[in-house]
Amino acid sequence: MSRTVCFAKRNLLEVSRDALSYIFCVAFPLAMLAIMTLVNESIPKEAGMTVFRIDNLTGGVCIFGQTFVMLFTALSVSKDRSGSFLVRLFASPMKSRDFTNGYILPMLLVSLVQTALTETAGVIISLIVGYELSVPGLLLGLVLSVFSAVFFISLGLIFGTLFNQNAAPGLCSVIISLGSFLGAIWFDAEATGGVILKIAKCLPFIYCTRLMRSAVKLDFDEGFFVSLTVVVLCAGVFAFLSSLIFKTRMKADLQ
Amino acid sequence: MLKNDVIVTEKLKKVYGDKTAVAGIDLTVHEGELFALLGVNGAGKTTTVRMLSCLSTPTSGKAFVYGHDVAKEQDEVKKLVGISTQDTAVAENLTAAENLEFMAGIFFQDKKDVEKRVAEAIEAFKLQEVRNKKAKTLSGGWKRKLSIAMAIISDPKILYLDEPTLGLDVLARRDLWRTIEKLKEKMTVILTTHYMEEAESLADRIAIMTEGRLITVGTLEELEAETGKKGLEEVFVTIVENGGTR
Repeated sequence: MSRTVCFAKRNLLEVSRDALSYIFCVAFPLAMLAIMTLVNESIPKEAGMTVFRIDNLTGGVCIFGQTFVMLFTALSVSKDRSGSFLVRLFASPMKSRDFTNGYILPMLLVSLVQTALTETAGVIISLIVGYELSVPGLLLGLVLSVFSAVFFISLGLIFGTLFNQNAAPGLCSVIISLGSFLGAIWFDAEATGGVILKIAKCLPFIYCTRLMRSAVKLDFDEGFFVSLTVVVLCAGVFAFLSSLIFKTRMKADLQ
Repeated sequence: MLKNDVIVTEKLKKVYGDKTAVAGIDLTVHEGELFALLGVNGAGKTTTVRMLSCLSTPTSGKAFVYGHDVAKEQDEVKKLVGISTQDTAVAENLTAAENLEFMAGIFFQDKKDVEKRVAEAIEAFKLQEVRNKKAKTLSGGWKRKLSIAMAIISDPKILYLDEPTLGLDVLARRDLWRTIEKLKEKMTVILTTHYMEEAESLADRIAIMTEGRLITVGTLEELEAETGKKGLEEVFVTIVENGGTR
């Protein structure tokens, strides 16, 4: 077993044994899926509002869930850094890449399970409300969710590395709020337009939501490929940045 | 360097901003001995151990572990040392056995090796009754034992124990002393402590540090002869109170 896998296994066990993980990473997103479906059912058809329709909602809630995976990544890293646990490991032959990959891989698995559960719940709700969801679309969404998951997890790793156990979750909450709002998870940014849409387009969150929604609906218009490009780039850039920041911080800690 | 000198430092110094944590110490530790670094809080004991275990880079001076320079040959040094820090550095949501398995997995790639090491550590530290309990549910004494077991699972030649009994009750402390005594049969142990009776009971040689300086090194008998005092506490007080002028 490589050192990365060994550390990843430890991190997965830590997260899987924390009750809060289930509340925030599973229960809360599923509750939002159910609540927003009820909201959608309460909106008159003539309003023409489709943002909470199950085909749009499922993709949006998947991204919403990933923001909590970011929070848990930040919590794990900042908690490890606050005690002596990482100090012990810094004295072992582990390299910085073992640490960063060991944090990212288990959270990626958590995110995939979370997305699969959200999509399954979406299918059940779609059967109840009588709106068909595309199974190939959901599978494509699950595959493509890897990129936005890497982006959010890397963001969590950066926050956990740079900030302490008290500050990191608070800052992640800001990103969760920003991601939900400017990611257009809970409102139709296109219909709103104006300054909000311009700001949203400058940030990666809306592209994550668009990519997931387009994948679920198998809607391969120009927007799909633009979103795919932006999200893949962000995943790569932020994964690289998180590794660099962790490595730099580790070096500074060993001074 | 003599053949059995496993740690040698030459004017080893560490400065943080305008504070000198370790002020150029010359230290030699022999193979197989239990060497105690004694001093009040802020004396520079932990900083010295951090430098010797590659957790901190010396500002100047040299330190060698089995002939390997701690500043230049970190990979080699890290294979030779184990460390148990002041805080119990364990994964709280993992069981005692899982913590050991995790640490063994860092050093050994083969699953059978890992299983063997875990079984040996559980046996050596008598961790059978807590092996399946999560670390966060263990008492302070059990956590320290687990932490030390994790430090030796890689079979290091040198073990650093940084204030291993800090905060433990007297029974847990005595229990841990027995564990530490057994360890010195197998490896060189560097113990930092500010408990006099701990150093007196366990150490072969004692080094006394104050304000980052190494004031003296010797066996208890040598230190008693040097100061004309009886018992480590009296020796320590005499040496530290006169330390500024030595």
